[in-house]
Order: sequence, then C-alpha cells, then structure tokens
Amino acid sequence: MFQIAIFAGKLVCLISKTLRLGAGATWPGEIALRLDPAILQKFSKQQKNIILIAGTNGKTTTVKMVETILRYKGLSVQHNASGANLNNGLVSAFLTDAGWNGRLTSDYFIFEVDEATLPNILKTLMPNIIVLTNLFRDQLDRYGEVDVIAEKWQEALLKLDTGNQSIKMHQTVVIINADDPHVVLVGEKLATTVKYFGLEDASLFLPNMQHATDTIYCPRCGSRLTFGGVYFSHLGKWACGKCRLTHPRVDVISRDFPSPIEGVYNRYNTLAAAMVAKEVEISDHDIREALKNFTPAFGRMEEIDAEGKRVKILLSKNPTGFNESLRTVLSSKQKGPILLVLNDRIPDGTDVSWIWDVDFETLKNYKEKIFVCGDRQYDLGLRLKYVGTAFNMHGNLEEALQKALKETQKDQMLWILPTYSAMLDVRKILTGKKIL
Amino acid sequence: MNFKLVVGWLYPELMSTYGDRGNIIVLTKRCEWRGIGVDIQMIDFKTVRKNIESCNVIFGGGSQDRQQGIVIDDLRTKKGPVLKELFEKGVPGLFVCGAPQLLGHYYMTGDGKVLEGLGIFDMESKHFGKSKPRCIGNTIAEIEAGFRVQGLGYRKTVVGFENHGGRTYLGAGVKPFAKVMKGCGNNGEDGTEGAVYKNCIACYSHGPFLPKNPHIADWLISKALEVKYKKKILLKQLDDALEWQAHEFML
Repeated sequence: MFQIAIFAGKLVCLISKTLRLGAGATWPGEIALRLDPAILQKFSKQQKNIILIAGTNGKTTTVKMVETILRYKGLSVQHNASGANLNNGLVSAFLTDAGWNGRLTSDYFIFEVDEATLPNILKTLMPNIIVLTNLFRDQLDRYGEVDVIAEKWQEALLKLDTGNQSIKMHQTVVIINADDPHVVLVGEKLATTVKYFGLEDASLFLPNMQHATDTIYCPRCGSRLTFGGVYFSHLGKWACGKCRLTHPRVDVISRDFPSPIEGVYNRYNTLAAAMVAKEVEISDHDIREALKNFTPAFGRMEEIDAEGKRVKILLSKNPTGFNESLRTVLSSKQKGPILLVLNDRIPDGTDVSWIWDVDFETLKNYKEKIFVCGDRQYDLGLRLKYVGTAFNMHGNLEEALQKALKETQKDQMLWILPTYSAMLDVRKILTGKKIL
Repeated sequence: MNFKLVVGWLYPELMSTYGDRGNIIVLTKRCEWRGIGVDIQMIDFKTVRKNIESCNVIFGGGSQDRQQGIVIDDLRTKKGPVLKELFEKGVPGLFVCGAPQLLGHYYMTGDGKVLEGLGIFDMESKHFGKSKPRCIGNTIAEIEAGFRVQGLGYRKTVVGFENHGGRTYLGAGVKPFAKVMKGCGNNGEDGTEGAVYKNCIACYSHGPFLPKNPHIADWLISKALEVKYKKKILLKQLDDALEWQAHEFML
C-alpha cells in the first residue's frame, strides 16, 4: 500500500504543480494518508533527522531560520509549507522530497506543528529535536484553552521518555523557552534532555504589564507569579514564591545571537533556531554568519515593493502577536501609514473578540494615516473609535491598498498588519501570486 | 452638577478571557464623552468590602477553568455577599460568558461534580459532557422590554458571540434577558438567552458585549446614575453611527 500511496501522492504533487493549482501543500498528503494511514510513520522510520517546532507564535519564522542555517552549511532541508501544519501537510512535505520509489533524499526535515496537533503527531513520528516556543491565547473557538493544550503536550512528551508503543526508544532533545512559565512546566518532568533559551536582556523589559497575558498565575500551584521584568505578554523573568517553580538557567541568551529582523519576538525565534543549529553541531560563528543572509518568511516582516513604494507585512493573528507588531512598527525608524485588516474566516478564527485585548491605545498619537479594512472592518473601526484615534475605513481591500500606497511617501514604509487570510489576500493583490 | 461613577471590575487578571476588557472601555468612554467622571475599581483578592460598596456598576468577565478555580472561593465567600447587597439595592451589573453558571445556585460539571455558585440568580446550570455539543458562534437575540433609555437610540436586538459547553435553566426568581433569534442561548431548548435580576444582567455572550450593543451600555450607565443620585438623569445622545453599523452587520 505504501507504494500505491506514494505514487498517488506524488501524482497529485505533480498535477497541482503543473496546473499551478496552489494546493500542493496539503492535498497530496491527504490522498496518500487515505490510501496508507501509516504513511507518516513509514516515512519517519527512514529518517532520523526530524525537527518539530510547536507553539502559538513564531513557528514559521523559526523554521525558516533553521533552514537558512542548515543550508548555509550545505545540508539539504525539506520543510512543510507554512500553515500546512497538520498530518496532511507533513506527509505532503515528505512526498515532495521522496523519489517515486518512496525513498527520502534530504538530510533534514523541519516541520512546524499546529499546537493542537502535536500530541497526535508524536504518536507516529519520532523527532530528534522538538522546540516549544510559547503558549498564548489564540482562536479560542478552535484551539480551546491554553491550559488544556499544555496538559496534552506534557502527556505526549512524557510518553516519548518511556518510548511509546509503536516506536522504539529514542533520544529526543526538547528545546524550551525559559521565559514562558507554562512551557517550562511542560518540560519540567521530562527525563529526556531539556535545554532552555531566554532573552536575559533587561533593556527590553516593558514599563508595565500588558493586558493580554495568559500565564501570570503559577501553572503548577495557582499563586500569583512575581516578575522581575516582562518582555511581552507573560514572557519574562518570572518566579513562583509559593511552589518554587522558577525560571530555569538558560543555555543561550539574546546577546549570543543577534536577530536578523526587527521585533522582540524575532529575538526568541532567533534563539530557538540557534539552539537547534547548535544541536546539529554547527558552530556559533557559522550560525551568526548564516543568519546575516536571512530573508523573512512570507507575511512575517516580509518586505515587498509595490508601485515603487516599500511595504512591510506583519501577520498579526492574536492579541500578543498584534501587540508585538504594533510595538515593532512604533519603535521602527521607518515611518509611514498603517493598514489594519481583520478577517473572520476559518483560518483567522470566527470570533474577533480578541481585538479588545490588543493595546491599540499605543496608536493614539500616531502621526501618519491609519486605514482599516477586512470582513470585520466595523469591529476594528469601533475598537479604534474607542481609542480616540482617526482612521479611514474601506470595504474593499484593493481600494484600501491603493489609498494607503498613495499616502505612503517615497522614503516611507507602508505597514500592513493583517490576520491570516487577510495576509494571503494582501499578498495576492500586491504580488499577483497565490500562496496556499 | 458633575456626575461621577465607580465601575467595579471583578478579577481583571483572572476573569478576562477574550476581549472582556472591551466592556470596561466602552462604559468608561461613553461616560467620559458625556462629561461623567469614571473611576475603575479593580476587585481582586485584596479588595475590601468598603471599596466594593463604593461601586455604582459591576462588570464580570469570563474565565477559563483553571482561572475560575483560583477565584471561586474568594468570589463566593468574600465578595458574593457584598455584591448581593448591591444588586438588591438596584446597582446595575453585567456578567458575560460563563456568568450564568457562576451566579446561579450551582453548576454541575461534565463528570457530575456539583460546584456551588453565588446563588444571586435563581437558576441552575449543567454540563452534559459529550452528549451535547459546545455552543460556538455568532448570536442574535431580541431583548425583553425595559431596556430603552429615554431620548436615546435603541434597537430591539442584541448581538454577540457565544462559546460555552454548559446549559442554564432559569427559575421563577429571574427573567430571561432576551429571546434567541440565532445561536443557542441558555440551553438551546426554551429559546431564552441570559437572565436579569433587578438591574443585573447575566448573559452567555462572551467577551466584548457592549461595543456593538451601545443601548445596553447606556442602560447600565443610566441605571447606575439613577441609583447613585436617586433621580432620573437624562443622558446626552452620542453619535453611534459606527456602533449601529457594526451591530446591523451581524443581523
């Protein structure tokens, strides 16, 4: 059955590529999985070098950074398409890589994994490195509560230690963000090797705690955590005075590996990628050199040239991500108008309540024009009305983009902050290409 | 006369699940735009009776299971009795999200555990485990009479988003808040959504309920002023064109 599944899957790959259907990220895998439900396991048995990246924010950028570093060292890398982070996306990536005989060719496989899917994937696939980036509230209508995800992660990872039934004992290294108390708790009981990264840079502390936080009460005993400083949301130098759960000693800090792109969250992505590369025994010097050539993943601080104007797209899909996008725009030397686009389709989450957790108040005295668009433009407009800042609302995205570009001076940057499906729409209009 | 209101916000750190803060922002701004001063009184573990008694309107947001577990004892034993006194006096309140479960007599979890509620509202809630699906989605409901504020814009509908597993059944001591037009409401059976006791509203709509329902925000403000200053106080009409656009978009 494996061979038939491979053949069918590869055929779908080929067809979608030739016809430019743009559906090659998930459909080949979906078809192959239906023909051979054990195909993921069969692929993973062939390949020891599998790296998984899981968490709410930063997956796509971290994958791209790891890939950049490994390629710099001449290693071949296969990854799943951004957003194609369920089983079918992983199988599709394997199919793209495999020959018609089903044999894998790349040295390394790096997968971003949907936070809700990680436990399920760990049942069939044995990675040698797992990175846990962070846990924030994201699409409650789809993912449910942060606590539930953390519990399921811990359960699945504990099984790795004892070797689960279908897979033989294997040594997995788990790389954890020490600044996120909830993720630290997940790694706390693991017998496997756990390594930590954290920023350790007091100059990045926020003056005040933000409203959009998830884990400011101890995930283990429920007491209020104390924070020596906060980088954003609940990420920082934390400690529990009661049960003594504490911020672990970290193996790498922000100063060790400068981030190639703006934004505090990208410092975390850089550290996560650097730790993976160190596990693969790449030298610190080479990691730093490789990252100098890093270009952002699509829609993640991606810079596009549109009608002679410079545009930066910052995917902003949950309160914490949005707050960090705003912080990046406001602290950037490059000034310019802002276009906010809010959709409520399935990939965005149908519930837009979260916009009230975003600190749009930081835009109150913004000097440039602000444009509002998207399926839920009225909700977003209303949010800005209650900030007390002026804005222009547009029902049509193309029109909004045109107006915003017109307002952007030659030496300025147009900042676009869209939700997921809105980001795809924006890119399609600006570049004329379809992604997924 | 310079009017001033104190808005009490229950456990802002723990009862804020998904944009609940929007209700506080809306109450504050709609007062300020009318020249009414606002103080926010955060009510948490350390807040004493005197400070809670100073509140003229109370807001309670939603909480996830773990967070609810952290607040429930303090809320029931230390804050509950004071809140009940306030509501008996007619102080208005708004509770969103799982509030019907919290304010009623009890809430029975999916595995049969009975959690005692505040007992302020005559109603009970149950979770039927996997036998009844979670209620998730945009909602529309028609409000019962009595929420119109003299001289202000009004709609018969309220719009919101629900996301709850439990089902609530009202007793004779409370009135339903609204009649379900779209969505599940209290239990998906009797067509009721939320409950009203004196001037306190509990609803299953979660998160930012007031931004798209400015008539309910103004009703809360007007009741708060009436109870505090012991007379009817006319509210200035605001330009709510965008609020109603957002409201009507959901209909």
